[in-house]
Amino acid sequence: MYKDVLRSIEGIGLYPIISLVIFMLFFTTVFLWMFRIRKEHADHMSALPLEDGSLSSPESGETYHG
Amino acid sequence: MSQVETFRYDNRIVRDFAFASVIWGIVGMLVGVLIALQLVMPALNLGPFLSFGRLRPLHTNAVIFAFVGNAIFMGVYHSTQRLCKARMFNDLLSKIHFWGWQLIILLAAVSLPAGKTTSKEYAELEWPIDILITLIWVVFAVNFFGTLWRRRERHMYVALWFYIATIITVAVLHIFNSLEAPVTLMKSYSVYAGVQDALVQWWYGHNAVAFFLTTPYLGLMYYYLPKAANRPIFSYRLSIIHFWALIFIYIWAGPHHLLFTALPDWAQSLGMVFSLMLIAPSWGGMLNGLLTLRGAWDKVREEPVLKFLVIGLTAYGMATLEGPMLSIKSVNALSHYTDWTIAHVHVGALGWNGFMTFGILYWLIPVLYRTELYNKKWANLHFWIGLTGILIYVVPLYWAGVTQSLMWKQFTVEGVLEYPNFLDTVTNLIPFYAMRAIGGTIYLASTVLMAVNLWKTVQQGDFEAETEASAPALRDQPMPSADYEAHAYRHRKLERLPLLFTVLTAVAILIGGIVELVPLYLIKSNVPSLASVTPYSPLELEGRDIYIREGCVQCHSQMVRPFRSETARYGDYSKAGEFVFDHPFLWGSKRTGPDLAREGVIGRSHVWHYMHMANPRSTSPGSIMPDYPWLHSNKLRTNNTAKKISVMRKLGVPYPMYFEEIAVLRLNEQAEEIASELRQQLPESADQIEADREIIALIAYLQRLGVDATKEVPYEEEL
Repeated sequence: MYKDVLRSIEGIGLYPIISLVIFMLFFTTVFLWMFRIRKEHADHMSALPLEDGSLSSPESGETYHG
Repeated sequence: MSQVETFRYDNRIVRDFAFASVIWGIVGMLVGVLIALQLVMPALNLGPFLSFGRLRPLHTNAVIFAFVGNAIFMGVYHSTQRLCKARMFNDLLSKIHFWGWQLIILLAAVSLPAGKTTSKEYAELEWPIDILITLIWVVFAVNFFGTLWRRRERHMYVALWFYIATIITVAVLHIFNSLEAPVTLMKSYSVYAGVQDALVQWWYGHNAVAFFLTTPYLGLMYYYLPKAANRPIFSYRLSIIHFWALIFIYIWAGPHHLLFTALPDWAQSLGMVFSLMLIAPSWGGMLNGLLTLRGAWDKVREEPVLKFLVIGLTAYGMATLEGPMLSIKSVNALSHYTDWTIAHVHVGALGWNGFMTFGILYWLIPVLYRTELYNKKWANLHFWIGLTGILIYVVPLYWAGVTQSLMWKQFTVEGVLEYPNFLDTVTNLIPFYAMRAIGGTIYLASTVLMAVNLWKTVQQGDFEAETEASAPALRDQPMPSADYEAHAYRHRKLERLPLLFTVLTAVAILIGGIVELVPLYLIKSNVPSLASVTPYSPLELEGRDIYIREGCVQCHSQMVRPFRSETARYGDYSKAGEFVFDHPFLWGSKRTGPDLAREGVIGRSHVWHYMHMANPRSTSPGSIMPDYPWLHSNKLRTNNTAKKISVMRKLGVPYPMYFEEIAVLRLNEQAEEIASELRQQLPESADQIEADREIIALIAYLQRLGVDATKEVPYEEEL
């Protein structure tokens, strides 16, 4: 029902087309850029949760509990 | 020479949110079990404050905002400090955030059973509480972004991007959907009406699921799964794709399954293909988590924490596949308004949100209290019992949903409805509702087991209120060389510049929002009006507010779809123009009871409604609807009627000028008409029937439903 209401608005198709185009462009760009990531950087970023700078032993990369 | 700074992480705020999450989780699930049982035994609807219609929103608000909400803050406060290598920006803001949030929950717990509701799903809380939510959210945002600003780790880990997206988007959603015109301190009307209100509400609702129930938990997953497994995430690159795929699927493609229908066919197909493609990277997130455990599956067997996280992620994958499926037109035609939707919700809620929360709690509490978990066997037991609970909850509801829908649609060979009495489709489901209640109770019981386990852990442990940490200040950390930067990809730059990242995310969300909201705004002036549709009379308006107060919309829809099975059962299908004065809309999203859009034109007498509301089983044996006897004894309060008329007029409903002054007079006239008709039809109770009772107003409203759509409009005399 809302479809008929929406279709009756002149030029309404423009908005979802804008969004679809932005959507596809942005996403394709991110996808391509992803291949340009250097391995050292990816490794550094992946390791961040494991090195939280804390000085007490249970937190600094220690094995899981529970 | 780099200067290493020492500082401390605040663990008290993490502990506070953790305790709050567990307590409210049990409360919220208890309400869930109660309402599940009420559907099996209507006698459990005890009085106005504990009736299903008022309690169901209490359940949803409690489990979403109190259970999940506090868990989100627990995880965000714990992980953000450590990913930033900085203490939370401001301890006072942390405290205000915590106590402010609990105050919101308490206000919800009091106001919702009292019937103070906007009726809009997951946004039921009335306007003063909405303002408080906005303020506390701003406190959270300032505290969070302040911590990013003070960070000592140059790059932002993926979890932080998810938190940023959550904070910004929830703010936008909440503000736009909560635009309401107040009538009194605890009563307001949505500024939107009908179709427009429905679309804004479900733009909010769907994105609330995305940005409150999904993105924060993905952030938490990206932090706690590596922590618990003591190994880095499987693929960092995949996490980037996952993040952007998810943001786009939800904020852009999600609500677009509504708006795409206004596109030309070629663009619709393109959009659908793209949306389907994006399921892959979204599932990639799930696989990213699961593959982190590659080669360590023996640990999953032994460690309850990992079990919970793995099943949680799997439930996420299931729900994110089911969701897009349910938005396909032909599937939705079967699933809409049925228990299938409820089953889908609970796969996500119990499986993804619940199990992830439990996994994180079992890891975090022992760490905070510098001890081992009190009883690992209990945690394993929790896992298996909880999983059983999920299955016993979800499977009966899938069965019930599909069964009921097929019964609604069944025609005999002669071409009439096989089950013309809606009630027959309900009574069939009672055994399934009973099984669901058992499943939920099992899940709740296992959660209580966890609470005991964690409490014992707390008692045996030694709380580390502050964790010492050290890291060099950012200014003392070497910047990547110019040569290195030349090859750097831009996303890394983004990770270094949280302000820029936040702004860009905000721009993405806002463009997405504008592109979606502008059409919705334009709808208002584009709804084809029906000449026959006129505003509700004062008595009908008061009756509508009683309908809202009692939560009738939880079980009854008001939207006849253009299917033969619906027009045969209810009458002519609903048109957009019928709802132009409905502030808020009351289309509903579930049919535990029949659709009411044509209730006023199917020839029901006032007496039928009078008796049905007092005790539904008196007119409909086997009904699971609660009794509403207080409507017959409560006097209708008309001290705000005039105010309601003028607020409605401000919102665009064309009441004549000065109509307020005679509104109550008109109300009394119409009430007396209905009352005297009732007295004639029920002579033995005539002396108990008073025109000034709430039931009269509700009857007036119900008898108005569908009248305008089928009303004859007199032709104007041709000149």
